[in-house]
Amino acid sequence: MTAGEVTEPVQNGAAGIDSPAARRGPLTMEATSLYKDFKLSRTAVLSAVRDVSFNLYRGAVVGLVGESGSGKSTVAKLLAGQERLTAGEVRLNGQPVVLDNRRNFRQYKSEVQLVFQDPFSSLNPVHTVRYHLERPVKLHQRKRSKADVTPELRALMEQVHLTPADQFLAKYPHELSGGQRQRVSFARALAAQPSVLLADEPVSMLDVSIRLEMLNLLDDLRDRFQLALLYITHDIASARYFADEVLVMYAGQIVERGPAEELTQVPAHPYTQLLVSSAPDPDNIGSILRSGSKKTARNIDTTPRVTGACPFNPRCPFVQDRCRSEDPPLMRISSSRAAACWRLDVAAPQLLNQSKGEVAHEGLGGPLT
Amino acid sequence: MTTTAAPGTQANTSQTSTGQSGAPRWRGGDNEPILEISDFSVVYRTGRGDVRAVDHVNLSLHAGEVVGLAGESGSGKSTLAYGSCRLLRPPALITGGRVVYRGRRLGTAVDILSRRPDELASLRWREIAIVFQSAMNALNPVLNVRDQILDVIEAHLQVSKDEAMQRLESLLDFVSIPRQRMKSYPHELSGGMRQRVMIAMAMATDPEIVIMDEPTTALDVVVQRDILAQIVELKERLSFAVLFITHDLSLLLELADRVAVMYAGKLVEIASAEEIHHEPAHPYTKGLLNSFPSLRGPRRELAGIPGTPPDLRNLPPGCPFLPRCMYGTAACHDIDMSLAKVATSADPEHVTACPFVLPGTPLPLRPAQGNGADAGAPQTEATGAQ
Repeated sequence: MTAGEVTEPVQNGAAGIDSPAARRGPLTMEATSLYKDFKLSRTAVLSAVRDVSFNLYRGAVVGLVGESGSGKSTVAKLLAGQERLTAGEVRLNGQPVVLDNRRNFRQYKSEVQLVFQDPFSSLNPVHTVRYHLERPVKLHQRKRSKADVTPELRALMEQVHLTPADQFLAKYPHELSGGQRQRVSFARALAAQPSVLLADEPVSMLDVSIRLEMLNLLDDLRDRFQLALLYITHDIASARYFADEVLVMYAGQIVERGPAEELTQVPAHPYTQLLVSSAPDPDNIGSILRSGSKKTARNIDTTPRVTGACPFNPRCPFVQDRCRSEDPPLMRISSSRAAACWRLDVAAPQLLNQSKGEVAHEGLGGPLT
Repeated sequence: MTTTAAPGTQANTSQTSTGQSGAPRWRGGDNEPILEISDFSVVYRTGRGDVRAVDHVNLSLHAGEVVGLAGESGSGKSTLAYGSCRLLRPPALITGGRVVYRGRRLGTAVDILSRRPDELASLRWREIAIVFQSAMNALNPVLNVRDQILDVIEAHLQVSKDEAMQRLESLLDFVSIPRQRMKSYPHELSGGMRQRVMIAMAMATDPEIVIMDEPTTALDVVVQRDILAQIVELKERLSFAVLFITHDLSLLLELADRVAVMYAGKLVEIASAEEIHHEPAHPYTKGLLNSFPSLRGPRRELAGIPGTPPDLRNLPPGCPFLPRCMYGTAACHDIDMSLAKVATSADPEHVTACPFVLPGTPLPLRPAQGNGADAGAPQTEATGAQ
């Protein structure tokens, strides 16, 4: 595979697809063929993110779904400016992002905020809630006097439903429940008045009964402040409910993207199919988990990845010779969907038949050029 | 306030098995549960009063059965499981109840709570093994997989070196860990592999009961499914009973034979997984079922459960779920939380703690939506109603 072939479909990875998120609001952030390599030793390099392109739109949620180690958190860190790109470009409101000095960085931070997964370790245990919120308000909103800051803090607390505000402002993180802590994290991110919010597994550490409430809160905040939201999760079911567009990541690459409902109901890529079929399903009567059923468990592959092959090929039920020798680019399935798989004709025949009329003139299942 | 349904529940247990997907749920003709927890209470002594983590709980587990224990964090599910094996340290204090273990190898019933500590040692792991939630913390970081498992085998079984080695190898095969990974240390293994090692260790002494405390919570869905399928397969082969603790009810519905739902230290509903799924009785169970987004079927309107669990230090009398309950009335302050049979249920063992709400009870007409995100509102709403 030559270098030219790698970059060409990537260039169009985001541009060639109509994101359903675009209907919600104007384009805010563009990530174009992001690459991130980590040096493990003098010779070994881990390509954590390869060829990732997508757009974020104001007031819309893009879900980034994948297993741990798939590179989804690295994408968030790249967008937040916490990791340096190996290659690629991030644009904010049409301008390329340059973070060459502290001033630029701070300005960028007030536009792009990150919420972390673990509310137990993302808050400093020796400081009160007030301290956590006061700093971003002073830094990003340039309010200095106490008289200016305090009403702002109260407003923030009310936005995340931590009332009475004064009582909660005086508390330390250990005095709060997990859900309340995560509300403080949200408030802290909002304190900078950002246009982009990167939420890295914001609810996965919380109880199931509280998750929904937190997602509703996040959705409410998105709507109220017209945030462009990147929702990173391993729970594809929550992405179905919460996101406009879903990107499925595997081994550092986006292997499938499309409107949330379509993608989760009729997944195209074999990995997405595996993800969907693995989700717990109470209605699944013949489940492999029920007593008396036969074993059909798959063995998880742990062999190191070979470059120049489909990363999913060792686990794929549809694997062919081509999958072992050539890495598939994202290929268009419909105007808003794409998947990186050579075997889509076998993996998702119904989708290709459906789209035959739509993209016939462009060449069925061809790379996005 | 004592729970009364337990004895009746246990007498009937064998009848329920027939209703369920045809699979034999426990072997042998004995109807007696292998583990019987009755009227069990645990408190945590703190400077600001006792935290009543487990309050008069009755639960039984039969051989070969998977019982799921569901509830949010702080509901006391882990305390119940560890407490029944006397694995809790002060400030935890068992304040009452009985835990009877009837192992098939032992031949006699053993009252776990009255045993001397040295007698307990022979029960632990040999009879009741535990798979802990965080495999990274539960494994010894300076021992490799082989030494880790051999240590268990040598501590609890009288076997020769060769036999121990053989056992180790077959255990690794059981959980599909390649033998060349035997010399790996915990940090060299993936999360799924570590959890498999934990399961292999739990199986090492061929226990009768395996308690699993959120064994897959930290894992991805694909790995989770893989491991759960493996657990079920091992259970079929070795016929141990499983007490599976998790906050993920959707998982339990697929995995467990029977599901017990816990709230604020009390069991609020017990029924077969099928019944919990289709005919939940208790408002809390209904709320839990309405909390997780599903992948299949039409998009449902999700309500969740607004509010937060109560402070277990000073629980008001009556139903602890009242402040968050959609159905709450003034009468809820006076009910005792004993479990009573759900007469309309297909499962004769289906019990619920709520005397007012039954599977068919329609939702009360209330502006339930809208203030769902406000943690403070339901509290005032409920008190205002009285």
